[in-house]
Amino acid sequence: MATDEELVGHIAHGDHAALRELLRRYERPLSHFLYRSTAGRDVEDLYQETWLRVLRHAARFDATKRFSTWLFQIAINLCRDWHRRVPPEPTDALPDAAPDPAARIDDAIDAQRLLARLSEPHREVVILRYYHDLSEEETARILDCPKGTVKSRLHHALAQLAALGRRTAKNSS
Amino acid sequence: MKTPEQDTRPVDGRDRLAAHAADCEACQASPLPLEQLAARLNASPVHIDATALSRRVLLQLQPELEHLALAASWPRMLRGLLLSLLPLPLVVAVDAYFLSLVYGLVSALVPAALAAYLVLSYGAVLVLLFAMTYAAIPLLVMHGGRRLTPTHLSVVP
Repeated sequence: MATDEELVGHIAHGDHAALRELLRRYERPLSHFLYRSTAGRDVEDLYQETWLRVLRHAARFDATKRFSTWLFQIAINLCRDWHRRVPPEPTDALPDAAPDPAARIDDAIDAQRLLARLSEPHREVVILRYYHDLSEEETARILDCPKGTVKSRLHHALAQLAALGRRTAKNSS
Repeated sequence: MKTPEQDTRPVDGRDRLAAHAADCEACQASPLPLEQLAARLNASPVHIDATALSRRVLLQLQPELEHLALAASWPRMLRGLLLSLLPLPLVVAVDAYFLSLVYGLVSALVPAALAAYLVLSYGAVLVLLFAMTYAAIPLLVMHGGRRLTPTHLSVVP
């Protein structure tokens, strides 16, 4: 079976089957990453733009590096541009309580909205480390920062999420 | 209604948080409510049909792929053409020698004008065959460049 990096080489020559295979391998992680980064907004546009950039720059891809790292770097750059361009959704109106009074408050808190309240570097680390189960090394490579920074960003992000959760729970009581 | 492709499976990253906390000095100094955090983060399913998304993107990127295929085929075609031109002087020399032999043989049997006509006709047929062969080279090269068929990629778990 061809590796991701070999497939990128074929894509640079316009190979349809190679692109289809790479799409199949990465459709879930990439679409989920975009969905969580943008709270589900403009996912299709960003998904298409990510693959368009892969196509256009495939000839310059360094095959000694991992394709997945490159792909997520492209996606992260697009998400950063998107956040600069698109006004954020109002996040003040966090759901205070579940519509069903019997449901627990914790379950009613929308994780997407909590994530949206984090700063961009913190949100990226949470998504890559928590939802995509990437190692600190891989996350550091994607974000182009030291491993220690990934660790401290994750700690700060989690502390911020815990504080936001406490505040929401207090408001609802 | 959700399709089977829509992935709404809950994520459970409790072990990832625990592993981070075990390795993070800041977490050990000021412990975080990891269970609560995991519960909040887990309550975030993704409602997206990734397969349908890929299908649409593949269609939308088709013109770009064709453009890349065309751009990639030119250098390959030129290389193929140059390689095939290398033996041409030798082939032409051998053919010219062969035609002169045929002319000598035929002119001994028929008038020289008729012999010249026959040999030149034969020569013209040879030139036409050469031209057709060289015209086919770009097509062969471009076709040969698209060898990566789905069978090369068929190992799907």
